[in-house]
Amino acid sequence: MVTASPYLVLVAVGAPALAGLATMLLPDARKLTRLSLATAGPVASVVLVAIHLGRNGVSPADTPTGTIPWVPSLNLDISFLVDGLGSFFALLIAGMGVIVVPYARAYFGHDAASLARFFPTLGFFTSAMLGVVLADHLLLTVLFWEMTSVSSFLLIGWDRDDADAGKRAMQAFFTTGLGGLALLGGILLFGGHTGIWRWSRLMAEAATISHDGTVVAAFVLMFVGAATKSAQWPLHDWLPGAMKAPTPVSAYLHSATMVKAGVFLLGRMLPAFGALALWLPLLVSIGAVTMLLGAVLALSQDNLKRMFAYTTVSHLGLLVAMYGLGGASTAEGVGTIHWDLTQIASHALYKAPLFLVVGALAHLVGSTRVAQLHGLWNRPGAGTKAAAAVLLLSGYALAGGPGTVSFIAKELFFAATDHATAAHPLLAVVGVMAIAAAACNVAIFVRLAATVFGLRSGAGDASETPDATHREPDSWSFMLWAPAAALIALQYLGGLVPTLWNRTFSGIEANVHDEAFADGLPWAWEPFLHPGMPLLMSMVAIGAGTALGFSRWMRGDLVDVHARIWPATYRGILRGGHRLFHSLQTGHLRHYLAVVFSVLTLCIGWAAWADPAMLRPPAGMDPFEYPAGLLLGAVVCAAAIALPMVTERVVRVLVLGASGFAVVGLYLVYQAPDLALTQLMFEIISVILFLLVLRLLPRPDHRPRIRVLPRLALASVVGISIGWMTLLAGHAVDNRAEDAPTLGKFFEAHSLEGSEMTDGRGGEGRNVVNVILVDFRGFDTLGEITVLATAVLGVWSMLPGRRRHREEEDLAVDTGQGAQP
Amino acid sequence: MRMSSLILQTAVRFILPLTFLYAAYAALKGHNGPGGGFIAGLIASVGFCTYRMSYGDRAFHRLLPVHPRWLVFVGLGLAGAVASLPLLFGQPLLRSASTTLHLGGSEVHLVSSMAFDLGLLLVVVGVAVGMISRLGEELDR
Repeated sequence: MVTASPYLVLVAVGAPALAGLATMLLPDARKLTRLSLATAGPVASVVLVAIHLGRNGVSPADTPTGTIPWVPSLNLDISFLVDGLGSFFALLIAGMGVIVVPYARAYFGHDAASLARFFPTLGFFTSAMLGVVLADHLLLTVLFWEMTSVSSFLLIGWDRDDADAGKRAMQAFFTTGLGGLALLGGILLFGGHTGIWRWSRLMAEAATISHDGTVVAAFVLMFVGAATKSAQWPLHDWLPGAMKAPTPVSAYLHSATMVKAGVFLLGRMLPAFGALALWLPLLVSIGAVTMLLGAVLALSQDNLKRMFAYTTVSHLGLLVAMYGLGGASTAEGVGTIHWDLTQIASHALYKAPLFLVVGALAHLVGSTRVAQLHGLWNRPGAGTKAAAAVLLLSGYALAGGPGTVSFIAKELFFAATDHATAAHPLLAVVGVMAIAAAACNVAIFVRLAATVFGLRSGAGDASETPDATHREPDSWSFMLWAPAAALIALQYLGGLVPTLWNRTFSGIEANVHDEAFADGLPWAWEPFLHPGMPLLMSMVAIGAGTALGFSRWMRGDLVDVHARIWPATYRGILRGGHRLFHSLQTGHLRHYLAVVFSVLTLCIGWAAWADPAMLRPPAGMDPFEYPAGLLLGAVVCAAAIALPMVTERVVRVLVLGASGFAVVGLYLVYQAPDLALTQLMFEIISVILFLLVLRLLPRPDHRPRIRVLPRLALASVVGISIGWMTLLAGHAVDNRAEDAPTLGKFFEAHSLEGSEMTDGRGGEGRNVVNVILVDFRGFDTLGEITVLATAVLGVWSMLPGRRRHREEEDLAVDTGQGAQP
Repeated sequence: MRMSSLILQTAVRFILPLTFLYAAYAALKGHNGPGGGFIAGLIASVGFCTYRMSYGDRAFHRLLPVHPRWLVFVGLGLAGAVASLPLLFGQPLLRSASTTLHLGGSEVHLVSSMAFDLGLLLVVVGVAVGMISRLGEELDR
């Protein structure tokens, strides 16, 4: 076997982004070249993944495809896992990308500026998404995962003039970003606990992973990540909101690919966590509620995009519930699932065409409202008729009508619920909910069909004038419906000739265990020859759905109560932040100082509590070594005590100066000329600064302050503890080094020449103080001068004088002009 | 802010070159004797400030024709560059290198951290002079 090359996969992942970026280099006029280049990216991905699969076959889930070292210190490398699940998703994503790029060309038409922005962003997304599904390292998955959130944000807020689009983009980013954080937390928790950082190892050791509390917590966090990304109840509201994005984006990101990332993650997690006791109840309950809620809300929508968004929510719920049911059937302690990829592919193959055709209708009819489609079939124009046909064919697949893959997929799901109900009778509820959701989908199709053919039971009529976004067709108009037609053709091809589908999918459907479908998907008529529970459920759903579709029920806009969650959260965050800001930022320096010093003292106190040895005076101190030092120390103390007693500011500065100069004397007594010189210069400069600032300060105010006693207590505690800490630091003994036990001795010993303690490297200077400043503690110094520079930048920019001056000049010019007639 | 006293002006005229000379000495000598970039920067700043106090803003601008921010930027840039240069050679941040120059009969020991020290000096001068002259301008208005 040829060894698998990770570089091939890396190029496959990066190609769409690179191609997208490259389109920016082309001039605006070269539209066709640009389009070809943008299409070449995903095409290259498809081809490279296909080459990889052709050379190596579908690798087992526990065999990674080589690694490229990246950040060895973090144990992070670029490694890929091209197993059945990963390669299926990669081909789906790249394949849809190939279709969406030319569609976007037709959708945006001659809007060159939009296209110039669109191709790089879309390429970025495609690469990120390919990374998510092909990454082997857990952290690499998170990295790409976040990149998909970012690109989704950029694409939802595409229309820069639409404030609502911006809000919706923020909502989507906030929700999925929160999920991303949960995912990261779950992965860190899991990896740190078990030492497993790769999906492949996770699969290999799936049966041996213990089910302790930490693993369960990690699983729940990872599930939160998956659920937010896949728009599960109760945080599904961002997905209908994401419909603010241009239709190519809705079709690509928010129906076929990105929202499936959560489902994909569950597919990755199933073998490892499927046997957890929590897996089935958590996934099935959330998924089933989402499925039914989405379907009911979809039926009551008037806007086609929102309608299909809610059906997407519904189907994502179904997929989550499906993986949840996988926990009910375990083989060798590892959760398994039947034909999950067929289920996912089936959804992508009808939902994407639905969205694509909605975009086509927006151009051809000028509206995306159901009511505007009344009698669409009878309107002139070949494009209109084609779009209507694709809409109905896709709608038929949405309803899960016989003859489509979707029908078989529904049968599969019903079979799974039926199967699981045998083990857990309570799961019969899920079966009923699934029937109800399926009935809603059928009703949507019936309603759409009735409207398009102009029947009386259809929605609204065409008497209203459509919105005026109608655009004249150009040579690319056929591209508005042709991609959708190609995709939906696959649905019927797979549904009518299942051998083709089976041959494609049997290689990558790793978990085929259901005896009923062990030989692959059946021919369209086979379920009718061997009727069973699933077919019965399908028939009930179709019957009830048809009745519901023709009825007058659920036509008005049902308000989704969950739509209130985000605005309330957003307001809450803003208000909370506002309140927190105002309680912390009082604008009074003494409050800030009190807070800072209190926290500092608490930290020191905590350290002393943890290590009581800190309270003992250090050994080897001789307080009476230099009597003059004692005297100067007394002067410093006296000045410090006098400082708060005087009220005149100038006197205060002078008293502070006296204290400083006494410190200079102290340094001289203790034979530190460097420090004495520094302190002297510093005192001079600070006195000048103080005198300058004092003249700029407003008159002292006598507003109520923090009372004296607490301030006195705080000041004494802070002063004493800081002084004590300094003393301790100077005398701290390190027993590992015999020749240089204290810091002072260490610096003295190594300032010129090194020893083995410093890797044989010394500071090469005889002045210990300076060597400390620029060598031993050079990083501190670098930080300090950065702080100094920032402070002076603050002085230059925040002192209002110069700006005020300029404004006055501007004002003078303005009034001068105004005075002239 | 200006203290136009004749005695101060005359004294400053003589003291200023000495101040700078001493600052330069302290900066160069710093690695082995008392001194260093930080101290030298403070000494030079005191020189600049007394000059500004005695001769006023305009004369000060003739003495230091660039805005102090350039001193800060160049100094910080120099220090950052010297600090991160070892990274290019696979060495840790701030790792110093040294060389000995033979000039005539005397040997001069050069350490790369002296360049770091020079950056420190420039930043200290820029910050002190910058703050004081900015506040002074505010008062002059």
